[in-house]
Amino acid sequence: MSRVFRWESKVKYSRLLEISDLVTRFHTEEGVVKAVDGNSMHLDAGETLGIVGESGCGKTVTALSIMGLIENPGRIESGSILFRGDELLDKTPQEMQEIRGKEIAMVFQDPMNSLNPTLTVGDQIDRVLDFHTPLSRTEKRKRAIELLRQVEMPEPEKRLDNYPHQLSGGMRQRVLIAMALSCNPIVLILDEPTTALDVTIEAQIFELVDKLKAQYDMGIILITHDLSVVANSCDRVIVMYAGRIVEEAPVIDLYEDPLHPYTRGLLNSIPQLDKEEERLPSIPGEVPELINLPEGCNFSPRCQEAKERCPHDDPPLVKVGPGRRIACWMDNGA
Amino acid sequence: MGTPDASTSEQSDLSTSVMAPTTEKKHRGLLQEIWHNFKKNRLSLAGGIIVMIAVALAVFAPVLSPHDPVKQFRDPPGQHSPLPPLSRSEEGALFLLGSDKFGRDILSRALYGCRTLLQLATGSITIALALGLLMGGVAGYRKGSWVDELIMRVVDVMLSFPTLVLAIALVGAFGIGKTDIGPITLSNMYKIAIVIAITYSPAFARVMRGVVLQEMAEDYVDAAKMSGGAGWQILTGEIFVNTIPPMIVQASLNMATTVLTSASLSFLGLGLQPPRPSLGIMLNEARDYLFGGAWWYPLVPGFFILLIILGFNLLGDGLRDSLDPRQARRTQL
Amino acid sequence: MAVYLLKRLLLAVPTLFGASIIIFLLIHIAPGDPVRVMLGPMDDPALRAKIVHQLGLDLPLHEQYLRWLGKAVQGDFGISVTIQRGSPVLELLAQRYSVTLELAFLSTIIALLIAVPAGITSALRQNRLSDHIARIVAMVGVSVPNFFLGIMLILIIGVSLHQPWATGGFVPLSKGLSENLIRMLLPAIALGTAYSAIIMRMLRSSMLDIMSQDYVRTARAMGIGWRSIVRQDIVKNALIPVTTVMGNSIGYLLGGSIITETIFRLPGMGRLIIIGVDRRDYPVIQGVVLSIVLIRIIVNLSVDILYSVIDPRIRYGAEGE
Repeated sequence: MSRVFRWESKVKYSRLLEISDLVTRFHTEEGVVKAVDGNSMHLDAGETLGIVGESGCGKTVTALSIMGLIENPGRIESGSILFRGDELLDKTPQEMQEIRGKEIAMVFQDPMNSLNPTLTVGDQIDRVLDFHTPLSRTEKRKRAIELLRQVEMPEPEKRLDNYPHQLSGGMRQRVLIAMALSCNPIVLILDEPTTALDVTIEAQIFELVDKLKAQYDMGIILITHDLSVVANSCDRVIVMYAGRIVEEAPVIDLYEDPLHPYTRGLLNSIPQLDKEEERLPSIPGEVPELINLPEGCNFSPRCQEAKERCPHDDPPLVKVGPGRRIACWMDNGA
Repeated sequence: MGTPDASTSEQSDLSTSVMAPTTEKKHRGLLQEIWHNFKKNRLSLAGGIIVMIAVALAVFAPVLSPHDPVKQFRDPPGQHSPLPPLSRSEEGALFLLGSDKFGRDILSRALYGCRTLLQLATGSITIALALGLLMGGVAGYRKGSWVDELIMRVVDVMLSFPTLVLAIALVGAFGIGKTDIGPITLSNMYKIAIVIAITYSPAFARVMRGVVLQEMAEDYVDAAKMSGGAGWQILTGEIFVNTIPPMIVQASLNMATTVLTSASLSFLGLGLQPPRPSLGIMLNEARDYLFGGAWWYPLVPGFFILLIILGFNLLGDGLRDSLDPRQARRTQL
Repeated sequence: MAVYLLKRLLLAVPTLFGASIIIFLLIHIAPGDPVRVMLGPMDDPALRAKIVHQLGLDLPLHEQYLRWLGKAVQGDFGISVTIQRGSPVLELLAQRYSVTLELAFLSTIIALLIAVPAGITSALRQNRLSDHIARIVAMVGVSVPNFFLGIMLILIIGVSLHQPWATGGFVPLSKGLSENLIRMLLPAIALGTAYSAIIMRMLRSSMLDIMSQDYVRTARAMGIGWRSIVRQDIVKNALIPVTTVMGNSIGYLLGGSIITETIFRLPGMGRLIIIGVDRRDYPVIQGVVLSIVLIRIIVNLSVDILYSVIDPRIRYGAEGE
């Protein structure tokens, strides 16, 4: 009798991730980098949460913290990450290894070097399945072909025997997505999945991800610095600046009524097809180095609407509406 | 042979890893940067110290040696059994590190041996530099012409010989001891230096040519060419100045293997000849006395050679790391 | 890929020819008179003229070269003037090479046995104590002249510890495998130590390079076990550049065997060249040097072939196949 692989029945938890007061720091020679500075957020089943911000604002470190991939000289100093009620920060490395790829999966930014050049595509997918499932060889091969088909890879059977260098960037990214999805994870984290790819490929990939999300009822965290991507694919958005969350809102609210000066600045700098502008407005100044954060509100040096209080006091992240939070001293409170 | 130097045993591989920066401003910056990185690296500092000690020993050998290195303290002169360290000759002369088969003080011979070895090594590197400069410079300047092709083919061919083999073949051709080339009589030491220089010059030629080609592609060269006669001289001078840093780097990388090749040649009896004190020869002589238990006989010269090579290797390593900061991060000690 | 190899092969041929020219020239510009060496006390004008004519020494230089080359290509390297009463050089080479190649082979094995575990451990435990120690040892290993090491080995093991097999000499395989091997042990160690240090450093450096690569990060993110990552991602890819280094080291092995064979009195090719130089036996010198160049070229080509086999990026072309 052939063995049939039964997908584990996932208890219907609607809140997949609950992150509270996460602090992740890097202790380097030059100083302490406060990459994630006491952030709290959550992810529910079936939704796509976008995390937006400029390079270096801590979005990737947040993702790595969830995955348990923070290494020397980095450390998760405090906080809690609950995955379906289970505290991840208490887990042993072995336990995290079992969760990674199987329950929580991540796809990184640049696909060009993300696959082992001396293993075939088939072997690499096989490895992931090998570690997390009891499937037999033939079952694994079947599953691999099925996955490649799902990620809309042309000629899946042939692809299995290809080496990564024989595939284009877009195809490699699909392989990586296939690997991430191979064990039906509940949470999928995509870190700038299309930054290194063509715009056309980008559109295809996001369509694909949406389809799969619905199919598998996953929660997706989409990390990006590209606001147009957010508008198209996300349900909720978190805006980060210099290691802190500055605004959180459902996507439509964010675009229609951005509250935080930084968010407004970002949205203003998107070129608009229907408006004529001589110059694209950009936010003056530079992102502070995470080693050397300014006193008070991190954004105050660049903020057009900074009040007296801003350079001295750090504004807390407060709830200002259903699903909306903001960290700012503006008078528009509550 | 040559002990393969620190990261590869192919000199040509090394030479291609040394690239000259493209503007003069960067050159000054490059040297400073190298120095800065270099200082940070403990290993290369250690190497530098060792080399300085070795050079000091060599330079001050006449002062430091307790005895005359060729004086035989036995009567009648001839072969005797070597005496262990801290023993005395019949007249009461103290052999700090023992005596050799002819009753000569090993410490003194070793110190003088360091001296000759370093002289030989620096001499041959200098000549190799000069040869390489010439060959590479001409080849690069006349890129694409038959001169270039010819020179580079010769370089390729020479590189297909293992270094020690080529050196031995050259010695075999020139003969052991003093050599007469036409009207010139070359002393043995010069001859050895030239032999070793010829062996190592291909690597320098390659580096030189590479740098020249890079420089020639620069804008300032076109400008100088267009301004005519005087410009041409400035041109050659300018290019030349820019070739110095990479050549120096290449030289430092090759010092260790040059020392080893010199010592090896002496060991094989093809290098410096007795009674001249030579660390390689001392090691060879020691072979006959191993069974008598004369452990100091090979240990002293061998240790000196080891130290010198180690010093240069550390230096060369440190230099390489200073050029490539990525590697330096990996090799912090 | 086949095209690439063919190109390399074609490049190798002129190099070989060039080497033969240089070897030929070296010998013939050398001062000294081989005929006098040959005839010794029997030197008289008539005999001399005869020998000179026989050896073709009266022909112009380029004709001599062509003559020599023509014979060499057919395997006739001439006759040794001083060894074993004029035996064909080819025969001598064949005899001697078996010893040298065995030495090179054993040295490589010993080098790998030490270098691979050391390099892997060193890279995995980067900057910890074991790494530092390993790197210092490797540094010293690269710097020790192999004649020094050989002599010390004989001194310590042969003399102080009274092991007769440690003092040199050669026992052919036909007379017993273990006798042969034990006598090759110390020579192989002497020759292989520096080789081992080089491989170890290369492997370590290569592994560290790879450990910071994206695909290692991918494997970790997919929850793949560390053991598997080390094996399949890190070491597997790290070995590729190491094979190039090993191929290049054949020059070191051949050169180093000259010294090692001298110290341990092994009747190999290295000793042969010394004897040849000593006695000014030009056919021998020419034959040995030419064969060394030939071997080196062959090994380099083999490394290229090997490289193309183990690295799929070279074996199969680029994108979209």
